[in-house]
Amino acid sequence: MLIVSNVNLTENDGAMKPTRFLNSSVRDYVLNINNDYRYMKMGYYVSLHAEVLGNPVVPRSENAIDAYRHPILLIKAAKHGIPTLPYMVTDSARQLIKKFGFPILIFAVNPFSNGGYRIANNETALYRALRSFGLNHKFTVCAQPLRGKMVSVKTVFGKNGCHGLSEEISRRFYEVFKLPICRLHIQECDGKAYLCGIQKIEIEELTAADLKLISEEIAQISRIGEKYWLR
Amino acid sequence: MAKIACFVEKYNFLDPTEAEALQKFKQTAEGMGHGFDFLFKQDISEIPKYDAVFIRATTDPLYTSYVVSKTAWELGIKVVDDPKSIQICGNKIHLYSLFEKHNIPRIPTIFLAKDDFHHKQISEVFDAFGRPVVLKAPYTSFSKYVERVACETSFRNVARRFFRRSDVLVVQKFMPTSFDWRVGVLNGEILYVCKYTMRKGKWKHGAKLRGKSKFIWGRSISLKREHVPTRFKTVALNACKIVGDGLYGVDIKEINGDYVVVEVNDNPSIYAGYEDLRDRDLYAKIITYLIN
Repeated sequence: MLIVSNVNLTENDGAMKPTRFLNSSVRDYVLNINNDYRYMKMGYYVSLHAEVLGNPVVPRSENAIDAYRHPILLIKAAKHGIPTLPYMVTDSARQLIKKFGFPILIFAVNPFSNGGYRIANNETALYRALRSFGLNHKFTVCAQPLRGKMVSVKTVFGKNGCHGLSEEISRRFYEVFKLPICRLHIQECDGKAYLCGIQKIEIEELTAADLKLISEEIAQISRIGEKYWLR
Repeated sequence: MAKIACFVEKYNFLDPTEAEALQKFKQTAEGMGHGFDFLFKQDISEIPKYDAVFIRATTDPLYTSYVVSKTAWELGIKVVDDPKSIQICGNKIHLYSLFEKHNIPRIPTIFLAKDDFHHKQISEVFDAFGRPVVLKAPYTSFSKYVERVACETSFRNVARRFFRRSDVLVVQKFMPTSFDWRVGVLNGEILYVCKYTMRKGKWKHGAKLRGKSKFIWGRSISLKREHVPTRFKTVALNACKIVGDGLYGVDIKEINGDYVVVEVNDNPSIYAGYEDLRDRDLYAKIITYLIN
């Protein structure tokens, strides 16, 4: 197993830096640990390079793209049984008000989005969000009804340390998309949790406890062997 | 009778020849007994009502068109361009990596990573490729984000601009020609052949006039597909084979009697009176492919 990471892991993990990996033609099972898997960022290119070389890799580049394209995240999640709320892709305020009423949760579907969201409680806020996230109405947004409270959790290998409703969402998200490090936006209402969105995290946000968890997971994956990539 | 959705954006109707081509698609589909509706970004939720989706808006994994493509794909609806083709053709790093893997004749290319970008590397690029070299952002389309640089200062300036969106970019040897071949390919068969010429004093098909923001284009000369050499066809079809079996536009340069692939594009331009001039059956062929 080859670990490619831009995160400074412990000495024992023996990780290769992403730029070195991009210049190599190593044939091995690749575990790509990165704080940012967004399209055209280094985390994405590491997975892509591994795939072009014919290496099994976690996460796959397709999953990296799809997880950060909001409507596709919801479609794929729902298809795999992860609880999600109804959504609508549009640039029309009228359609959103008619379908969901207020408050509305809005995610951007533009090329420059960092995955954050806005909550529109009234028409003015909705028009502002559509204009801002749609880059002056050039792009659509992905909207969902806001029925409960939003929680944002840092997820490392499917674990977020919350032991609540959101822990199950994190675990299942990791099973489907296999993104080792990210932040998930989850909506909790009526005793249930729903996956809403995903965002990258900054390297500085990874604590010593997170790094320890990553090392433990790497050790666990080494024990599982090839089967981990086949799941 | 099948129902076809054609995903477009307002800009697809700005050029009268493109608008005419879109109308020809509609007329052809309806003439064959199928429904053909234009679908705009606010109508994405209507996708499940259709049997096939044909994307004419510009594709990129970060654009709405990818959401449309992937949504249709996940619902099991036939879609051109399919998400895999958009992923490969929409990112030149992905495309050129596959060219290298499958030994497609290509322009000498190297990749440059943002974290590895320093004086020594720029010198090595100039030593290997000479001056000038061509810098390409992975998301280039319509000749945009492709620039020629001849010194370290302009290299740094252009690279810095392209690195804003992508952590890796493409550097290629500068190989000027008076025209590029454009070959339309559908499902492993040649659909049309054109020559995209460069304007006098320019080195790419679409370019800006000095000091102006407007893009100007070279001429498009259409040829009958039967009249192209076999070797040329083989190069074009092999390049498409590594991407998929959808609709592509392959750009090929003819250098010293040999052919090198510049790139394979998904979502190739189809303008009335240009790409369709010699092979008018391309509309019917695309509609037939969509519904089969």
